[in-house]
Amino acid sequence: MLGLMLDAVVIISLVGLALQSLYAPSLFRSILHFVVFGLAMSLAWARLNTPDLALAEAAIGAGVTGALVLVAFRRLIAIQPDQDKPSTESRSRLALPIALGAGLLVAILGLATVNIETLPAAAGVAVLNNLSSTGLENPITAVLLSFRGIDTLLEITVLLAALLSAQAVTRPDALEKSIVTQNPDTPLIGGLLAIIIPLTVLVSIHLLKAGSESSGGAFQAGALLAAGGVILALTGRLSPSQQPSLRLNLGLLLGLLTFIVMGLLPLLNGQPLLALPEPWAIYLLESTMMISIALILLLLFTGSISLRHRRG
Amino acid sequence: MDSATLYVVAAAVLFGIGVDGLIVSRHLMRKLFALNIMSSAIFILLIATAAPIDDLPDPVPQALVLTGIVVAVSATAFGLALIVRLCQETGKTTLSVDDEPENDD
Amino acid sequence: MTVTESLALILLLSGSAFYLAGTVGLLRFPDVYCRLHALAKADNTGLCLICAGLAILSRDWQVTALLALVWLVGLLASTVSAHLIARHAYMAGQNPISARKENECLD
Repeated sequence: MLGLMLDAVVIISLVGLALQSLYAPSLFRSILHFVVFGLAMSLAWARLNTPDLALAEAAIGAGVTGALVLVAFRRLIAIQPDQDKPSTESRSRLALPIALGAGLLVAILGLATVNIETLPAAAGVAVLNNLSSTGLENPITAVLLSFRGIDTLLEITVLLAALLSAQAVTRPDALEKSIVTQNPDTPLIGGLLAIIIPLTVLVSIHLLKAGSESSGGAFQAGALLAAGGVILALTGRLSPSQQPSLRLNLGLLLGLLTFIVMGLLPLLNGQPLLALPEPWAIYLLESTMMISIALILLLLFTGSISLRHRRG
Repeated sequence: MDSATLYVVAAAVLFGIGVDGLIVSRHLMRKLFALNIMSSAIFILLIATAAPIDDLPDPVPQALVLTGIVVAVSATAFGLALIVRLCQETGKTTLSVDDEPENDD
Repeated sequence: MTVTESLALILLLSGSAFYLAGTVGLLRFPDVYCRLHALAKADNTGLCLICAGLAILSRDWQVTALLALVWLVGLLASTVSAHLIARHAYMAGQNPISARKENECLD
């Protein structure tokens, strides 16, 4: 009973936040409500008994997406300052029937498949039965890396493709002005960075290691590291620059290349593609993926080709 | 009504809200938010309809949704870069079709 | 309900009450600085009480240490954020409300 009430509170806040983020008159209010929607989604994942997804949604869906959206808003406001005003929308008469039809379709699909009495899913049973052979204890990490490694490989490729496409489209004028806060020279910032940045690195390495036993994994750790990088960029310690840097490009490609090499190596022993051998391969893979994901998300935030270190 | 059915209904409502926002919103950033809300609704649907295996949650849909979250953020980042470039080139953040009032001739 | 559970319940409820007070302050105070006051102080006290209640419920020193770390990092982040927001508001020209009323009296 209490669980149902908690679920109802989470769902009502999700629906209310979605409505506000789409129909609020001010764009800034829409953005803020969208970021909080990501956080409420994280609560929903926690209620649905999926801690890995809660971590990922909080780090990636709320944190990184919020930073990206706010930076884009800052750049849009610099070009056209009167964007915040409400727009007069003439509502198309087809919108409500299409939305109702779509919602009904999803409801029918969902209600037909939820709680039906059937045998448990064969894929999940196979994963849980063969979990000990992978050397991992977290079944989700086992699915991501050992059983469906091709999906994770393509996921890294999609991230890299998004970064390259965004870099191809971005016009690099006034990038730094849109990132750094206007009056960043206060002594509290140095103190904050001195404590938070090492803590961020420590917690992300912990999340990476914890991914093999309990919740965690490369994506959450990479997003946390990217958040640390975003803090450094916001305070002016890392500034965007247009000079391509070999080290940075190698870091971006490291995850993908390691994955491809690790995937092709078993062919030499006569085993199929992507049959990762012992846990050391998985740890190496996860570490390089974490570094790559962090760099990709950070470069998506700054919108530049590379970063320059500046002692503040 | 148990918890899973409640989340399925929530997913349907969120998807409907997302579709409506996608069609009606004029600012491109709100359309991007609507797409994200639609993806989140489908992720909730995937997890809510997954049956537990011996009281453990099913790991395969969770891995799928994790991949989906990362792909959604990649698409959002690229979409934002496109919106910023469009505004830099044309000075508007709505598609030109939306600006003209619909004249029924 | 055992003693630890009821103690944890009291701590969690009072933490939630502090959060409620902080949110009401955020909505009702007239000025940026007053609102930051409500957020930084009331919310952090609420966080401390909720972490204490959860630590008592968990009976595990590792979880307690993690919760203490969560509270400390939350304290640090909200402190610096409140300072930055107040500094930005001051440099943008917003005077605190008591200073405004004094200026009105002088005219």
